[in-house]
Amino acid sequence: MSDHIVADVSEIGDGERILVELKGREVGVFYLDGEYYAFANWCAHQGGPWCEGTLTGTFEGEFNRDTLEYRLNWVKEGKILNCPWHGWEYDVKTGVCLSRRSVKLPSYPVRVEDNKIIVTL
Amino acid sequence: MANERNLSLKKELIIDTDVHLQIKPDEIAKWIDEPFKSIMTKGHIGNPLPDSGWDRSMAGKIEKRLITGPEDIQEKLCEEFHIDHPIINSFGKVGKASMSRLAVALARGYNDLVLEKYLDDYPHFYGQITVAMQDPEAAAEEIYRMGDEKQYIGVFIDNTGPNPPLGDPRYDVVYRAAEDKGLPIAYHAYDSGFIVDFPRQNAGVETFFAVHVLTHPYAHFLTMTSLFEHGVPEKFPDLKFVFLEGGVTWLPYMMYRLNKVHSIRRFDAPMLKKTPEEYIRDQFYISTQPVGEPNNQEDMRKIMEVIGFDRMMFSSDYPHFDFDHPEGLEKFLRVNIPAKDRKKVLSGNAKEVYGI
Repeated sequence: MSDHIVADVSEIGDGERILVELKGREVGVFYLDGEYYAFANWCAHQGGPWCEGTLTGTFEGEFNRDTLEYRLNWVKEGKILNCPWHGWEYDVKTGVCLSRRSVKLPSYPVRVEDNKIIVTL
Repeated sequence: MANERNLSLKKELIIDTDVHLQIKPDEIAKWIDEPFKSIMTKGHIGNPLPDSGWDRSMAGKIEKRLITGPEDIQEKLCEEFHIDHPIINSFGKVGKASMSRLAVALARGYNDLVLEKYLDDYPHFYGQITVAMQDPEAAAEEIYRMGDEKQYIGVFIDNTGPNPPLGDPRYDVVYRAAEDKGLPIAYHAYDSGFIVDFPRQNAGVETFFAVHVLTHPYAHFLTMTSLFEHGVPEKFPDLKFVFLEGGVTWLPYMMYRLNKVHSIRRFDAPMLKKTPEEYIRDQFYISTQPVGEPNNQEDMRKIMEVIGFDRMMFSSDYPHFDFDHPEGLEKFLRVNIPAKDRKKVLSGNAKEVYGI
């Protein structure tokens, strides 16, 4: 494991990402709500470049058994990453796949020192 | 004729999850009030319940089998087939009745008839409560009305006819009632409903061969997809869903296809918190008949292993023309799978699902 400076903090704005190659692997580095996240650019479905997908919201269902009220709420705008190949949805803050909760994408530690974003891999 | 195979069957506890009656308009009329009594008996066009007119006679090649009273079930199923507990289903055409009020009256009348004529004097018989999904509120009421009868152990829904498909939120009131009463939901398609759900295909095919091949899988595909589309198994986590008379081999196809499309379009079915396969392996069951017939029997063992022996329940569909005699399945299971799994399919799963 070693540290890699991937960018200056000024290079990734809120809701933005960069793609870098570290040790021969494609890594996506995201900045969202004041936190950095780094993931392998590899979707658990068929190996698609998920870090290159769009960031959108998604629907969550809500059901009240007493009243039988059933609503779909559009939530997490800008925080759901959709793999560009087939649209598998991931929570970009955790890497957890929304349709298969046991699937979590490989992530790497990220920290900032002297305005430099450093990924450990 | 007593022979070795019958002795083997006799030793097994067998629950038949799909037994049918023939209830003629004159008979059901005695159990319903006016004006429905007259509608059933005095119409100048005959039976007011629609049928598609397809030939079911087998062209005279085999004798028609009928169950017209509980003594027929006792003699033909319990004694000749060695069925210990028959589960009586169906007044199937309720699902297609154009008048929802008539459908509701027929379902109530049918449930009263079965209770008094078939269940009261035969404590080893069971039945499922027929409901008319044309009126979900009335269907829920019927579940509460009959749900405490000990021999009514499930809710029976004709899944050819109801529109929109059966996962639609308008039916949630029915599913809540079944869950409240601890009763599983059982879906059963009818060939007479093919013309209702698939009119274009019904007009295009040439024979009842085609209609019968397609009716049950089409209906089950639609119902199961609709349940997942609206998250019904997530909304009612204690509810069990039984799919009757589709055989078993359709289930892996649907299970994996639902997984696939759900993973791509989860936002279209956002109630689901798990993969469709996880719900199926937890809350869904299938009856065996008409058990598929691969040219190589080994193929069936492999498919059943994929499905899992805790998902399948024996059914005969007696007296319909493609009934399965328990002899066939019992022998197949005896030869091919461990005894504990054989017993699950022949009775153990049904005991658990239906609380028998």
